[in-house]
Amino acid sequence: MGREFARQRWLVIFVAGVFLLLVVRLFAIQIVDGSYKQAAESNALRHEVLYPPRGEVLDRNGEFIIQSREAYDLMVIPREVVKGFDTLLLCRIVDVTLPRMRSQLKRAAAYSQRRPSVVVPQLSKETKLLLDELRLPGFQTVYRTVRSYPRKIAGNLLGYVGEVNSGDLGDDYYRSGDYIGRSGIEQAYEKHLRGEKGVKINLVDVHGIVKGSYGGGMYDTLPVAGRTLTSSLDAELQAFAEELMGGKVGAVVALEPATGEILVMANGPTYDPDELVGRERNNNYARLANDQRSPLFNRAVMAAYPPGSTFKMVNGLIGLEEGVLQPHYRYECHGGYTVGNLTVGCHAHYSPVDLRQAIMTSCNAYFCYVLRNILDEAEHGGIMRGGYEHWAEHVRSFGFGRKLDSDFTSEYAGRVYGGDYYDRLYRERWNSLTVISLAIGQGELGCSPLQLANLAATIANRGHYYIPHVIKEVEGVEMDPKFREPHYADVAREHFEPIVDGMYMAAHEDGGTVKAMGYVPGLEICGKTGTAENAHRDHSVFLGFAPKDNPRIAICVYVENAGFGSSAAVPIGSLVMEKYLTDTIRRPAMVDYVKEMQIRYPHYDGEAR
Amino acid sequence: MTGRQGRVIHGKVDWWTVAIYVALVALGWLNLYAAVYDTTREVFDVGSRYGMQMVWIGVCFVVALVVMLVDDKFYHILAYPVWGVCLALMLATLVLSPEIKGARAWLLVGPVAIQPAEFMKFAVSLALARAMSVYGFTLGRMGDLAKVAMLVGIPVAVMFLQHDVGSAVVYASFLFMLYREGLNRWVYIVMGIVLGLFFGSFWVTDTGLLMMIIAGVAAGAGIGYGNWKAPVMYGAGVALVSVGGWLSLRYLAGMEVRFYYVLLGVAFLSIPVVAAVAWAKRLRGFWVYIVLFVASVAFVSVADVVFDHLDLHQQKRILDTLGIESDARGWGYNVNQSKIAIGSGGLVGKGFLEGTQTKFNFVPEQSTDFIFCTVGEEWGFVGSAVVLALFCALILRLVRMGERAEEPFRRIYCYCVAGIFLIHVLINIGMTVGLVPVIGIPLPFFSYGGSSLLAFTLLLVVAVRLDLGSGELAT
Repeated sequence: MGREFARQRWLVIFVAGVFLLLVVRLFAIQIVDGSYKQAAESNALRHEVLYPPRGEVLDRNGEFIIQSREAYDLMVIPREVVKGFDTLLLCRIVDVTLPRMRSQLKRAAAYSQRRPSVVVPQLSKETKLLLDELRLPGFQTVYRTVRSYPRKIAGNLLGYVGEVNSGDLGDDYYRSGDYIGRSGIEQAYEKHLRGEKGVKINLVDVHGIVKGSYGGGMYDTLPVAGRTLTSSLDAELQAFAEELMGGKVGAVVALEPATGEILVMANGPTYDPDELVGRERNNNYARLANDQRSPLFNRAVMAAYPPGSTFKMVNGLIGLEEGVLQPHYRYECHGGYTVGNLTVGCHAHYSPVDLRQAIMTSCNAYFCYVLRNILDEAEHGGIMRGGYEHWAEHVRSFGFGRKLDSDFTSEYAGRVYGGDYYDRLYRERWNSLTVISLAIGQGELGCSPLQLANLAATIANRGHYYIPHVIKEVEGVEMDPKFREPHYADVAREHFEPIVDGMYMAAHEDGGTVKAMGYVPGLEICGKTGTAENAHRDHSVFLGFAPKDNPRIAICVYVENAGFGSSAAVPIGSLVMEKYLTDTIRRPAMVDYVKEMQIRYPHYDGEAR
Repeated sequence: MTGRQGRVIHGKVDWWTVAIYVALVALGWLNLYAAVYDTTREVFDVGSRYGMQMVWIGVCFVVALVVMLVDDKFYHILAYPVWGVCLALMLATLVLSPEIKGARAWLLVGPVAIQPAEFMKFAVSLALARAMSVYGFTLGRMGDLAKVAMLVGIPVAVMFLQHDVGSAVVYASFLFMLYREGLNRWVYIVMGIVLGLFFGSFWVTDTGLLMMIIAGVAAGAGIGYGNWKAPVMYGAGVALVSVGGWLSLRYLAGMEVRFYYVLLGVAFLSIPVVAAVAWAKRLRGFWVYIVLFVASVAFVSVADVVFDHLDLHQQKRILDTLGIESDARGWGYNVNQSKIAIGSGGLVGKGFLEGTQTKFNFVPEQSTDFIFCTVGEEWGFVGSAVVLALFCALILRLVRMGERAEEPFRRIYCYCVAGIFLIHVLINIGMTVGLVPVIGIPLPFFSYGGSSLLAFTLLLVVAVRLDLGSGELAT
């Protein structure tokens, strides 16, 4: 009996053991190991991305500059493709060569077997409907938006969008085949423009056939369209400025001084932004990228130019602020500034001149005196002990030598060296004469047209500027407050008056550098020319604003290798201001003169010098 | 036997068993409904699998009622005839049946296909109970043992002829009952060792397996002679000599020899030494342990060598004939999908009809062999544990009914049924969670199929009926 009882007990223990084993195993795979849940999801859930339309861009008057238009990308999920489908038919429908199609399919398979890749981008709705009818397993069309540009302006400022590359995939938002802003506004405002993707989670069976919506659509989200941006650009004015810059290399930047809003940012050369959309995009891009004149390059914010004589106002202002200059100080000038065997040449004008006249006539010698006085000023220990640094600090307060922090991602910081640079260059043996070129905006200075336009705005505002920006409003988002704060130059407000007077005189009095080409009755233009020396023919520069009181526009025009400031930059600048302020052009002959102007660029175009 | 309160309960239906049975059938049907659920179909469709199953459930309830009303003497009387009829049906199947999924196991009767093998389990249980309850029957006697072997062996042989290996494996379940009835312990020990080595050779390295064999045999001897010091010293000695030998071969002789061979050599060389010591101490039966050791090593090596020297397709063919691998999409596909489905259920599951893996056919055979996936996915660990608990309770209930029976016939029958349920649950659920090789046998009351539902109902209800009666059955 006892023996039987023992056997019965062993059997019960055995039964309990079997069930315990099963329960432990179930516990292990259902609760301890989470990987099965993921495996189940990747088995049965198919995430279908719903693309939002990319945000559109308006100009300051509500006119479209960038629009979004519907297009369809043909995508492939390699593992679902059934071998032996009619590749030729597909090629015919989407108008792609067979080798191209093969290489695209291979590329897609190399990226992922499960995730969709783009095979042919940006197809028309008609093509999409044809493809939908064909119902090729593994292929699908996906709604995208492509850019279109009704005014065909401002290409290198608006930027372009391109397919994401492996580097962008670090951001979780992007998947292969997505588009991302590559430059300009498209890049700077990418996060606002792209919107939010929606997702539709479908249930699929073992054959990949959609069986319905997961959780009754509870986890689905709708795409949220990208935000509409309102640009501060004046599309009409921009188009006009681009027309004037035709055939020239350089940039026009116009700001509204009271806000820092960019009214015009025209580059020469530029390109039709529609060229970087659609199926010819790659060819066009290659052509533009190889163009020696660099049409893709936004010179307005990225170029490093010598400011030339437009920089004299800065030296004058610093001199006044430092007390080493009074507006009535007169200096002699007989063809230049000469110390020992050093001469800074000057052109013919009457002598002596005071500060106002020096600005009006753009006297080189006058500002050589001014700069030396600033640098050698005893209060700051002379040039070697802080005099130079003191000057450089003042210069930087105008926004030079650093990024203005505008809404362009690729802004050029500019070049205003510290004293240590000269210490190294001249082995600590240098003085105010060594750097005398700085007096007239030459030498070791580099700035972008945007920085110069900002200088014009600072003078127009009599001492302060607002950070220049090209987007004034993002739909549904507070504008960055940094664009609303005034930034003050280290020069007191009253010192600006004689400088403004000088600029006014330049455009209104005989002998003024601006008057001949830039006088427009009633506009009250204040301006300053620049003729910037460089390795080739001089650059033609103009910096100005109008009207004199309560200015509404501040402008910088920079035309490479066009010679005197008055020859190319002044006409362009005055025409743009005239059009903006009066909405008409009363000098059609001047427009024709600018358009017909022939400037040769042998160093760009590869001609023999 | 035990003389505890058992026998007073006689005369009352074991309602616990009935309740568990009803609960399992109900859960099974709901689960089947979920497994074949298709949103595009009508709400209830008699032509569908769950519709058919509902009809079968109705049939089962009628049969159960009839079983309960029949005098329990009939089961004793009809044991051999039932066995004979079932065997005849199986033989008929062998000739008449079309081949379905590689097996000739179904007999078409009008629109329904029945599987005689399912009813054979019931027949064999009855026949064994009858044969073994004869006065004077002992498992120790060869003639009696041969009777048992014949009653079980003939149907198994026919099943092999039908290529229905899965059903044949179920007959190992009678070992459960045979243990209770006093079959020699050694049968179980040897079987345990063989199974352990078989699975062990898949899971651990050859060196690990050899260590386990040495340790196991030494421990066995230690227990057998009631001496723990000697085996420990033996083990330590073998380890020391092997490691020392391996190191010196490697660093002194500069020979790169796998540790496995050193250990094997030392173990074999130790045999004469140990044998001499045993002889000197006059330990009786020591040869058993030596034979055990040599046989184990030989078994593992031969199995390994033979298996490894076959081509892949031959290996697969062997596994196929063993019924271990029956899926076409590659080794482990079914089991992997099944584990994904069950594993994704988590603690409380995705909810009734919410399972994605079973609903969208990721799991093959999901309404038959892999039905437990739906339980795991939709009801989670909690639901699975409840189902397991119900089966466990059912089996323990059967053991209890067997133990409180006054006569061997009733007890043996109950134990047979308990064993059959146990092996079905172990193999079916074990394979869905990847513990047991894939062998296609149904999960009682859950898998789709009228024959198996009816057969399990018969098995169980007859046990309840036998438990209810108390009259003399055997002579």
